[in-house]
Amino acid sequence: MKTRNFLLSVVLGAAALPAFGQLTQAQIQKPLPESWPTYHGDYFGRHYSPLTQINQSNVKHLSLAWVARMSASTLGAITGGEGPEPKPGAAPGGLSVKSIPLMVNGVLYFSTPDHAWAVDARTGKEIWHYFWKTQGGLHIGNRGMGMYGNWLYFETPDDYIISLDAKTGRERWHKKIADVKAEYFSTMAPLVIGNHVIVGMGGDFLDVPGWLESRDPETGDIQWKWFSTPRPGEPGAETWPDAFSMEHGGGMPWQPPTYDPDLNLLYVPTGNANPVFIGDSRKGDNLYTSSIVALNPDTGKMKWYFQGSPHDTHDWDATEVPILFDGTIEGTPRKLLAQAHRNGMFFLLDRETGKNLLSTQFSDVANWSKGFKPNGQPIPDPMKEPQRAGALVSPGSNGATNWPAPSFNPETGLFYMHSSRNYAMFYRTDTPGEAIAAYGGSSEHRVDGFGGSLQAIDYKTGKTKWIHDYPNGAGGSGGLLGTAGQLLFAGDGAQNLVAHDPATGKILWHAGLTAGISNAPETYMLDGHQYLLVGAGDSLYAFYLQ
Amino acid sequence: MPLLSKPYSLIVAAFLFGSAVAPLSAQKGTYDPAAVPRGKEAFGPACGFCHGLSARGGDGGPDLARSLFVMGDDHGKQLGEILKTGRNGMPAFPDLTPSQVSDMASFLHERVEAARARESATPPNIIVGDAKDGLAYFNGAGKCSGCHSATGDLKGIASRFEPVALQDRFLSPRAGGGRGGRGGGPNRAAKTVKVTPPNGPAVTGTLMSVSDFAVTLRESDGNRRTFTREGDVPKVEITDPLQAHYDLLRRITDKDIHNLTAYLVTLK
Repeated sequence: MKTRNFLLSVVLGAAALPAFGQLTQAQIQKPLPESWPTYHGDYFGRHYSPLTQINQSNVKHLSLAWVARMSASTLGAITGGEGPEPKPGAAPGGLSVKSIPLMVNGVLYFSTPDHAWAVDARTGKEIWHYFWKTQGGLHIGNRGMGMYGNWLYFETPDDYIISLDAKTGRERWHKKIADVKAEYFSTMAPLVIGNHVIVGMGGDFLDVPGWLESRDPETGDIQWKWFSTPRPGEPGAETWPDAFSMEHGGGMPWQPPTYDPDLNLLYVPTGNANPVFIGDSRKGDNLYTSSIVALNPDTGKMKWYFQGSPHDTHDWDATEVPILFDGTIEGTPRKLLAQAHRNGMFFLLDRETGKNLLSTQFSDVANWSKGFKPNGQPIPDPMKEPQRAGALVSPGSNGATNWPAPSFNPETGLFYMHSSRNYAMFYRTDTPGEAIAAYGGSSEHRVDGFGGSLQAIDYKTGKTKWIHDYPNGAGGSGGLLGTAGQLLFAGDGAQNLVAHDPATGKILWHAGLTAGISNAPETYMLDGHQYLLVGAGDSLYAFYLQ
Repeated sequence: MPLLSKPYSLIVAAFLFGSAVAPLSAQKGTYDPAAVPRGKEAFGPACGFCHGLSARGGDGGPDLARSLFVMGDDHGKQLGEILKTGRNGMPAFPDLTPSQVSDMASFLHERVEAARARESATPPNIIVGDAKDGLAYFNGAGKCSGCHSATGDLKGIASRFEPVALQDRFLSPRAGGGRGGRGGGPNRAAKTVKVTPPNGPAVTGTLMSVSDFAVTLRESDGNRRTFTREGDVPKVEITDPLQAHYDLLRRITDKDIHNLTAYLVTLK
């Protein structure tokens, strides 16, 4: 219980501290309406705000406060990093803000691969810009930053964690997480819990091990590491054929976990197993890949796990947000965890014990499972693994849903997500006896599908309450935000930000942007106004009622 | 493609993230392909006992295809130093010549690349089905003969497309990049739309785009028109000439797919 004492001292100590930046553990744990202190906005991953100034009666009057268009030009940026100088005149390239900005004391903090910014939340004007000279790695996206006190934390594609001074954007330290030469790349928004900064990495291009680690917020030193696959003799090792397959089994935790401060448990969603599509060399369920794992953040020790995609062979990461909320199941109050998995299944767990309470298939076209085991795990159909002549599988590797944030509304009791009815042909292309790693030995051919939808699931039954099919065929874009103003905000895939009635899906308001929503909307109070903030491509848009 | 969390191939990555820095393995010139067989020969007797003949790990020696040391080696420079002195229990091999070391480095770098295998582009022969059953499906449950005929539009189709392309095409006809369209005459696969405003005549044309808030079409004379939408007003009816292919996805089995392909490849 060291952490509790530490938290207490942080809380007491913080009360006297004045302002720029300054974020205390208490403020992360119970976010003020005037803040958005973590990637998810809270520890629970609900993407739900109690704010009501913007509500169903006035949402039609929402108007633009400002737009901030970010530039990747490094002119005037504070520069760090161990990579080469960028080539002069090199095209900055298209930025995509996938990070959900932190909002603390009137300042927004957010990041894209190799870049971090502080922006004035009242005007959208840049306060500072930090640029990291990269050594490589896949620049696919950056989910954002973590904050503690006056310090910011973010990860880079070449696998460093960097701590910046929130006031100045100056670098405080940087630490190597993994080696980019082994094809790791890092996208996760670090999560701060007391005296821990929780860090994860990604990468499927080589069959390397995945892990989550905790670092000291002051020094950046490692406190513990949790590997997402066991080693011989450890629990879970029986789900792998040998030591080699475990040590090369992947399971990258590349999205921020959620956290229950009362239970002191961290809920870590893990990525798919490796080799990605051909599982011959890793026969078994392959724990703890494509799972939700409950860890003690002080020690990194696992309390329980639930594996949503046993022996995955379709790149179905379980990195969709494990949302935490309390509810009543069959007359018993329960601490719950709900996840809509990329593989098309909805899972409801007791988050104290990990016991499965409900499993349903939310995708009406998923075709790879033969039902559920008594423990709630789907039963994969081996004929839907990649085949020489091709297997038609729904969903394809993009999933029936994916990492963009879902939302839970405690008033409607509905779990909202962007879903997609898609298919792919999975082919085996290996020659017999060939040693396979990563994506080798296989080929996925995308097949046209039925487009995407905004879908609402009743958490008690796992059944779809309503579904709004986007007519454009491509599906929704970005994550979701619910509010107590009885609003559900979503991006429609046609570059519109849309407000829906969370009870029915009815459209109440929309605004056309210049790009599809690339992060998830967030909301906070500032100077008596409730703001709605969203990232779309290279720009942030702030709305409020005038 | 905001839903895409991880690219499934380098090509996709390069396409979607044009400015992205490619993974290191995409960088060229890490080894001389011609030296790989010579390197393998030198490696076997000297190192294979511990690291395995394929360098993927053996009795006590680590898997060199995933070794950060090998990945960081520059054309045998660092490797040569270790071979001279040994390290971590590995004995020294002072008798290896510089050219043997350089060949071995090429072999090991080739091993690293092989371990980083990407998706293969072309599946091998995929014809496993029964052409007779495929024909029955074509005329029966598949309802293909409602629009297509072996002596008409599909005549000779198997000489125009590889079997895999043929199979992908009936499952995903639009992804195949339909004929016609821009500057190429009428696109038979284009969706059409009929928009009926509350007061006024219906307008019909080729669907350009549609969302919950607007629908844009092109009339037969080339005129482009956009209507704003609010709920069910105006009435919007979309017709997709390829709808039958999409309907197929929900009910076709893998066996049906393989049989249908086995039949289609006979249409030379």
